Amino acid sequence: MTSTLDATSRTKGRWKPRDVWCALAGVVSLALAAGAASTVTVPVNSDLGLVGVLPYPFWAGVLLLNVAFVVALRGDAAGPARRPVMIWLVVVLVLVLFGTAAFVTDVPRGEVAFRHLGIADALSRTQGIDPDIDAYFNWPGFFALLATALRATGLDPVAVALWAPVVDMGLWLAALGVLTRYLTRDPRRRWLVLWIFCLGSWQDQDYLSPQAFGFFLHLVVIALVVGPLAARPPEFRGFRRADLAAWWRGRSPAEPRPGHRVSALAVTLLLVTVICASHQLTPFMLLIAITALTLSGRVWPSRLPLITAVVLALWLVYPASAYLVGHPPLADAGLEAATEANVVDRLSGNAGHVLVVQVRVVLTLVLWALAAAGAVRDWRRGRLDIRVVLLAVTPLLLFPAQSYGGEMLIRVSLFALPFIAMQACSVLLPTDGNTRPSFRAAGGLALTCFLLAVLTVTGRYGNARYDVFTDSEIAAVAAVQRLAPPGSAIISAAHPTPWQSEDYLEHKYRTIDDLCRSDLSTATCGPLVYGYARHNPAGAVVLLTRASQASLVLKGASSTRGFAELEAWLSAQDGVELVFSNVDARAYRVTP
Amino acid sequence: MSGGGVSRPTVALGLAAVALSVVTLVGLPTPLQTVAATAVLVLLPGQALARLTQVTDLALGALLVLALGLAALTAVSTAMFYLAVWSWQACVVTMGVITVLACMARARQEAAC
Repeated sequence: MTSTLDATSRTKGRWKPRDVWCALAGVVSLALAAGAASTVTVPVNSDLGLVGVLPYPFWAGVLLLNVAFVVALRGDAAGPARRPVMIWLVVVLVLVLFGTAAFVTDVPRGEVAFRHLGIADALSRTQGIDPDIDAYFNWPGFFALLATALRATGLDPVAVALWAPVVDMGLWLAALGVLTRYLTRDPRRRWLVLWIFCLGSWQDQDYLSPQAFGFFLHLVVIALVVGPLAARPPEFRGFRRADLAAWWRGRSPAEPRPGHRVSALAVTLLLVTVICASHQLTPFMLLIAITALTLSGRVWPSRLPLITAVVLALWLVYPASAYLVGHPPLADAGLEAATEANVVDRLSGNAGHVLVVQVRVVLTLVLWALAAAGAVRDWRRGRLDIRVVLLAVTPLLLFPAQSYGGEMLIRVSLFALPFIAMQACSVLLPTDGNTRPSFRAAGGLALTCFLLAVLTVTGRYGNARYDVFTDSEIAAVAAVQRLAPPGSAIISAAHPTPWQSEDYLEHKYRTIDDLCRSDLSTATCGPLVYGYARHNPAGAVVLLTRASQASLVLKGASSTRGFAELEAWLSAQDGVELVFSNVDARAYRVTP
Repeated sequence: MSGGGVSRPTVALGLAAVALSVVTLVGLPTPLQTVAATAVLVLLPGQALARLTQVTDLALGALLVLALGLAALTAVSTAMFYLAVWSWQACVVTMGVITVLACMARARQEAAC
């Protein structure tokens, strides 16, 4: 296959004292951060999330790690520190940033990972796919993989979900590491891209999920497209038809061996098919990226966008048709609707929650501003790589197409992040490639990285008050699943509930938040919930947990007092009895 | 190279796939079962398929082992669910067969050289 761009990275020779010190600093950083995180008690009682309760040794570890990385990156005139040292420091960063919650508690964070375990469990029990169940059964690829892997390996599903962020980030970085080898020959830039990518990953999409798996495969496909499947266009002469035709015909393949291009294309097609089978959004992001690169003359198989579109359309028309009949993809399209769902609705809640959301916005804007400055700098020096710019910008095209449950902006920022990080490096490193940063520049870089790390930890773990669950809440969910008869409804107050990991198909799962929409007052919401529970033929169990209550209060949908009133009203109704109670949860059975 | 122009890694890969498939199906204590199942479901098929691409770049080759292994297992598992013939044992056998077939294809490439 085509060779990567040559780097001047040092791989031979003796270890220098600086390399050893940097590696040791990584060990100390990990010990400080992990040790400090393990002292945090659950539940997290801060509206700012983990950042409000992490003790100072954690931050000392993060600061030391960033300083060690910058020292290692600066290296000497021959390049950065040895490759094992750089890899070790990146591993430590991944453990510190993405394993923090696992050091705090042995319960996976967030509701969705539990649900995804439940879907895999349901698949392995039914041994078939019924697309009428819900959207997950129209894109079952990842869940089929998960079901097979869990059954064959005998791994504990909860442990898999707990450490999934670390594993997923490792996979993403492996793909990004290969991808950057095709985009730059500067070893310092390659390492810094990985570092900035980690520091900008506040989106929290690396849990056990189809999108995390899809994003990994997406990065691998992009690596193949800019690597073995790349084309070298001739000099661009203008937009006249004859010039464009000559320019298009003048492209040449970057990989000279046809057999290798064919095998790379076959791999790409397999990965595209698996992406289409696994996640709704990722294939659209991939199609846009490949199309943009092809139109820029940088992809040799010019029909690759067409082939990708056909595979995607076939999946939508056949396996996913059951879902799409009731959910047209462009039903809520439009810039205004997307802005409302992705920005306005998220900037509500109490002061702490709003601050966390603002931190996420600021972090994203800072990285985009750095990338813009880097692009201008590269353009002035005639070094702007159009591939990086296109890959950074094209995800934005999907923003007005779908609100995606208010998560489109999060997904857009994630898909753009690797290339935003790459472009930002142009302003964070010296202008001349392979030049060693000065002491002053290195100091500024270390400070910038540390500040980005603080922002990322704040944004990423900002919902810890309600997405870090206690053992009592897990016990309550287990008790409810035991108490609820088959066919009954299980009603939780709000979505951060660690449920559905078992008996996914046995019950109807609803939340008071969804049943009552915008008005959670006792007068309006109480009769709605009670009526829904009473009219369910098999009855219902209402589960009220600390986390779900905290979520409603933090987001401004209810208050502690209003929530208590609603619970008191429900518990006083006919046919309602308290069947389970512990320090963090109560469960009421509602007979039909 | 072994007899017939087939390289030792190709033969070893095919034999390892057969042996580990059997061991995984028979069952091992948890940590060993995890290692054996991961190898037979992801790493060996990924390696066998990646070798067919004749990739020369070490980093890209390692990445393709993971990506191809995971993608092939996803494709096999999903197809089995749609055909209502899924079981994890059937997936182990299928991935073992894919590995052996990929090794045979690689052996033909090597013999032709």
